[in-house]
Amino acid sequence: MQIEFQNVLPKPLVEIARTSESLWNSTVIFQSGNRILLNASSGKGKTTFVHTLMGLRKDFSGVVLIDSKNTKSFNTYQWVELRQRKIAVVYQDLQLFPQLTVEENLKLKAELTGSFDIDFAKNKIEFLGLKEKWNQRCGLLSMGQQQRVAIVRALIQPFEWLVMDEPFSHLDQNNTNLCMQLINERCKEINAGFILTTLDANDNLNFDYEVKL
Amino acid sequence: MVKSLLFKFQEKRQLVIAILGALLGITFLISSVHYLNKINEYGEDSEILGKNTLIVQKKVTSASSLGLTKTDFSNKEITTIKKELFVEDVKPLVSNNFRVWFETNDPYVPTFKSDVFIQAVSKEFLDVKSDKWHWNEGEKFVPMIMPRDFIVMLNTFMNANGIPQVSDELAMKLKFRLRISNGKQEEWVDTRIIGFTNEIASILVPENFMDYATKKFADGDPGKITQIMIAGKEGKFGDLEKYMIDHGLESKNSQVVVSRLKSIVGTLFAVILAISIVAVFASGLVLIQYMQLLLSHNKYEVRTLLRMGMHPKIITQTFLRYFIQVFLLILTAGFVCFLTLKFFVDDIFQTGGIYLSESISVFAFLAILLTFIIFALASLRTAKREVLNLFNK
Repeated sequence: MQIEFQNVLPKPLVEIARTSESLWNSTVIFQSGNRILLNASSGKGKTTFVHTLMGLRKDFSGVVLIDSKNTKSFNTYQWVELRQRKIAVVYQDLQLFPQLTVEENLKLKAELTGSFDIDFAKNKIEFLGLKEKWNQRCGLLSMGQQQRVAIVRALIQPFEWLVMDEPFSHLDQNNTNLCMQLINERCKEINAGFILTTLDANDNLNFDYEVKL
Repeated sequence: MVKSLLFKFQEKRQLVIAILGALLGITFLISSVHYLNKINEYGEDSEILGKNTLIVQKKVTSASSLGLTKTDFSNKEITTIKKELFVEDVKPLVSNNFRVWFETNDPYVPTFKSDVFIQAVSKEFLDVKSDKWHWNEGEKFVPMIMPRDFIVMLNTFMNANGIPQVSDELAMKLKFRLRISNGKQEEWVDTRIIGFTNEIASILVPENFMDYATKKFADGDPGKITQIMIAGKEGKFGDLEKYMIDHGLESKNSQVVVSRLKSIVGTLFAVILAISIVAVFASGLVLIQYMQLLLSHNKYEVRTLLRMGMHPKIITQTFLRYFIQVFLLILTAGFVCFLTLKFFVDDIFQTGGIYLSESISVFAFLAILLTFIIFALASLRTAKREVLNLFNK
């Protein structure tokens, strides 16, 4: 699945200074299966990029094309299909349900996408060191633990692109590496690409190329 | 899972208050619709006169006895009454202007003969099937409706002759005949009783027969109109009664009492119905508001589900299903409360001598259905609007 940003400029970013390499107000194509890093300092529009791509905000000029189709012409069913099967997202605010347990959070997403495999989900959680947290409410977990649950939740659904908005901001290097290993394995397994936004120039992250904001 | 996520952690106090309000409203709504209908139906089955119909005559006073005032109705007076807003229809009760004898004509019954007074009533005023109430020249039997007092008199005669008395059903199977005469010529016609009335003292025959007999035995002169039939509009009996008092008219007391009773009780239940509708509407609004509140409290959950790829329709249906279940529970509980209330109210009516039919009015079920449909549509609209708002943000 190809994603293309054509002269996209969200209203809140009109007054923000940009370099000529910036994705905003220029044409950028994200080819299927690529691993892309979106690296930018605060306020440059990392979250805005994710929200614009996922149809959560519509206050922008220019055109976002997904497989050559303008997202502004998408109907409800097309957005539902995109969110369920094409693009998995780890939002910056994680969007977990704090009153539900880790298992319930994963189960809810998996039921929604019709892809629940309890062993698969449990293995991923165990791999990230959260075995004891399986039946614990997400609201009681630390931010780092919640980030790992959110990553697993994104990985258990079918997707062609995995979009992650600063997913490791509360993780140490070891946990970041474990998460990246899991992400790379899953993307390779289903032939998907990822877009990862980060604040830092992270040398330890494995990616194909970088896009500036 | 979604249901548990959206409804498990809610503050239910407002919901309980709305449910109690709606329960009261629904109970009184069903009760008032049921009794309003039953009161309107009261007395209709036992009478052949149409509902809200009175037989009215002018009061006989000393002045009228001396011939100073008239006791008959002119065509102008009838037209004036017909124009009143509370009047549905007015027709004269045409009386015979020739001599009539009524006699038995059945081998199983001894001969019984009596001078009688017959009147013709337009069939719109009668609650009898039209296929029974017709007569054309050459037809074998003239249908007639007898005053019940006449059967009492007939039975007294039977008893005196050592013959078993006849019931209403048997009387309707016996053969009778009418002898019509003007002194110069006479004619016998076979006749059959098709019903009885407590309200009219004369024998009722179809208009066609009266026209035929009047033409043949009274030279077409129908005589004076001393009685008229007035069909009042639903719930307007008070206006009709006032008009009758103001214009020196009177009706048989039992008719007036029943009509007055129906009018008063009907008005009372109409007031209760109006209050119930307001109560149901208000509590329905509170329930809808509660749905909005619940959606607002669950804004994060709903928005997250939508971001995860849940279709807005599924979330709308989840809210709709929940509130429909709540409302069905209210309707069921309201119906049970109504049945309990009915048990006591029917008893009160029976103590007062009013026997309403025990079946539940179909209008009560229609009221339940209508309330449910309105609530379901309002709930659907609210849930759809709120969820789509979150989807588009």
